[in-house]
Amino acid sequence: MSEIIRVEDVWFRYEGADFWALKGVSLTIKKGELLAIIGQNGGGKTTLAKNLNGLLKPTKGRVLVDGLDTKTAPTHEIVKRVGYVFQNPSHQIFESTVWKEVAYGPTNLGLSPEEVKQRVEWALSEVGLQGYEQYNPYDLDYGKMKLLTVASVLAMKPQVLILDEPTTGQDHAGRHLLSNLSKKLNREGFTVVIITHDMRFVAETVNRVVLVSNGEILMDGSTREVLNAFDVLKKAAIKPPQIVQLASELRKKGVDINALTIEEALQEILKHYKG
Amino acid sequence: MSVGVSLLKKTTIEAETFVQRLDGRVKFLYFLWATIIVYIFFDPLLNLIFLAVTMALAVYAKCWKPIALTILIIVVPWILFAVPILALPLGFPWNKTIIGYINILGKDYPVYLEGLGWGVTWPLRIAVAISTALLFFLTTNQAKLVATMFKMKFPFKLIYMVIATFQFIPLLASEANTIMQAQIARGLRTDVGFVQKIKNYLAVVIPLTLSALNKVQIRAIALESRGFSAPVRKTLLYEASFTKLDYAFLMTMLLVTVFLAWVYVYIGFSPFAHLPWIWSG
Amino acid sequence: MDMVWVKNMEPIIRVENLTYAYPTSKDFVLKNISFTVNKGEVLAVIGPNGAGKSTLLKALNGLVPHFYGGKYGGRVVVSGFEVLNTPISKMSTKVGFVFQDPEDQISGLALTVWEEVAFGLMMLGYPREEIDKRVREAIDYVGLTGLEKRSPFELSGGQMQRLAIATVLALRPEVIVMDEPTAQLDPLGKYEVLSVIEKLAESGSTIVLAEHEIEEVVYFADKMLLLDKGEAVAYGDSRKVVTMVEELKRRGVDPPSVTELTSLLKEKTGVDVALPVTLEEAVKIYSELLR
Repeated sequence: MSEIIRVEDVWFRYEGADFWALKGVSLTIKKGELLAIIGQNGGGKTTLAKNLNGLLKPTKGRVLVDGLDTKTAPTHEIVKRVGYVFQNPSHQIFESTVWKEVAYGPTNLGLSPEEVKQRVEWALSEVGLQGYEQYNPYDLDYGKMKLLTVASVLAMKPQVLILDEPTTGQDHAGRHLLSNLSKKLNREGFTVVIITHDMRFVAETVNRVVLVSNGEILMDGSTREVLNAFDVLKKAAIKPPQIVQLASELRKKGVDINALTIEEALQEILKHYKG
Repeated sequence: MSVGVSLLKKTTIEAETFVQRLDGRVKFLYFLWATIIVYIFFDPLLNLIFLAVTMALAVYAKCWKPIALTILIIVVPWILFAVPILALPLGFPWNKTIIGYINILGKDYPVYLEGLGWGVTWPLRIAVAISTALLFFLTTNQAKLVATMFKMKFPFKLIYMVIATFQFIPLLASEANTIMQAQIARGLRTDVGFVQKIKNYLAVVIPLTLSALNKVQIRAIALESRGFSAPVRKTLLYEASFTKLDYAFLMTMLLVTVFLAWVYVYIGFSPFAHLPWIWSG
Repeated sequence: MDMVWVKNMEPIIRVENLTYAYPTSKDFVLKNISFTVNKGEVLAVIGPNGAGKSTLLKALNGLVPHFYGGKYGGRVVVSGFEVLNTPISKMSTKVGFVFQDPEDQISGLALTVWEEVAFGLMMLGYPREEIDKRVREAIDYVGLTGLEKRSPFELSGGQMQRLAIATVLALRPEVIVMDEPTAQLDPLGKYEVLSVIEKLAESGSTIVLAEHEIEEVVYFADKMLLLDKGEAVAYGDSRKVVTMVEELKRRGVDPPSVTELTSLLKEKTGVDVALPVTLEEAVKIYSELLR
């Protein structure tokens, strides 16, 4: 698999701030990956994510997106390749219909009306909002508004999709929906990066986890590795999901179980129970 | 607990000078007084004196930067724009006295005193008004401001609206920034023509306005739930009362008023610049 | 003559057949809801978004109907006051309300954390000495000691939300209502706020809270009310409600992971175990089962 984003020893400081938000962060993302960036608020995960699509440029070091240096290439070229769905839908939505809202992105790319139409229809069906084209976005419930924002970025067909805290403010059904959508988009070829602090969501969705704390990457590994590294998670004041904790406690009592999700735990327990 | 705070900043800035300690009403009076005086007189040099005094106070109170910035943005371009238009023979009706000639593209054009005077005096009057008003806002913390306005018998809900607006300007500003980023992430480009720039502007202003309205509504609900509308006399944490400092400042203003009144009667309405009379309405 | 000891079980909150529609809603947002909350109890309201949880909570302090208007039927009595006939400002002395977004609750009139906590007391005209006392107590209770002079806007999400709780506690309400207080917080903030809520619960406060963090809430919720599409689908002892796995899943609510796991295990194998609701219970059950 080839690289799509490379972060090389990036240091970042916000204007006027006297501290470094990112301290020498290095990271490589390959095409087709499905990963999560986790960590406390203020620890640098959003800062890192915004450095990945050119919204923020490294103070020191560099970020390469599809070979382009984010400091020298025009922002609109980077943004074409890396889509960023912001956390709060009302920070984006300004058109009067769902259709126009999703059309905004592809129109900005300079596509023909025919192509724009195709993209909008495709994006809406991807997220399951077909039929809502003429609705006023503010008449939608929060969950659908979230899907709308995903569709509006998807319509630009970026290679990488960054979702910023997609599950905040969602109910359980909404979280499952976003988890399934993320996995589906990944299967279809999108590289998906999810910023989140919902550990159960992480366990059920992604393959790789990057833990950012105090401007540094504390750990970068498979979901199984990171979610089981209790001492590292504790340093970042993060609690692993209940199933992972259950498995860990059982292992301490001599039951050999390793599970991230309910389904996995069920399979493991059935094995033990039968045997 | 003496902390000076800028109403336009989220965080408190530590500055404890006599300017911060002056009662809000005195500073408000200073704003009204200075503005009226520079209106009665027609003298750009007098205006500059008032401006200099205000800026000196601002520097001492450590809040001169926002004032200087505002003056720079509003007043300086105004002067640069107004002076040529008024001072040159472009139709300003009171132009009579020629004070010199200026050579533009090979031709000599007369420069008129009346136009020049007007072009310089008016913006400076506004500068005095703005600087004294900002000095008031930037050196009066909102608790004292609330107490001040309460003493002046303003209705509480009105007081709240004024203060809260200032508190939330920085919040909205940072939100505007986030919204801008969100739209850039969807392909909004800044290197575009005028028409597209309008559309860009809407893409930020519309979500911002909706967000602001939403915030106002939610906050109103939260405040209601905390007894905001209780029909009782509110307890205020600060008592607005005059100290010796306030009386000293007021006395100074009074003396200056007497002095200027004498100047007006015996020297005229333009004591330093000696501008000729024109309707300065 | 025998003396009979009679316990006064008069509930502090009584909701009877509450039915409500916002002025702009086509359908009723709450349909015939009835439940009670006794003094010292913690009631958790769960359900998918749009079920009516927020609306129900707002009906406890008078925002519904006095702030919103709309169509109102049924009765809500809190601390002896019938909400329909009591102005919000009066209700606010009995019911403290904590909202979801910490920043949206900052009054904008207060310079410092101290003043923010004092705000409600100032609005209600309490004397200065009383204000000083209560503010000190509230700030210390939620763990914000030392931050009194900071601007409320400088606080972290968890700190801001604890500040909101302090502002409510200063009014010494009889009931504390919280609408998804941890939804906008990061894990540390969630932990900080849930700790304060647990402390309140243990010290006998009456709390009604809407929350999605079911795995945390089971530790201190006495009763649970499952709401869906405006209707009370299940109500009762929290253990009873949270183990109704099928019903919860059908309404789009996830029970605690360990509860769901065990329910699936029972389905598959027919093993006879009680459904655990906490991690600790699950560890006990499984270590016995699998050794």
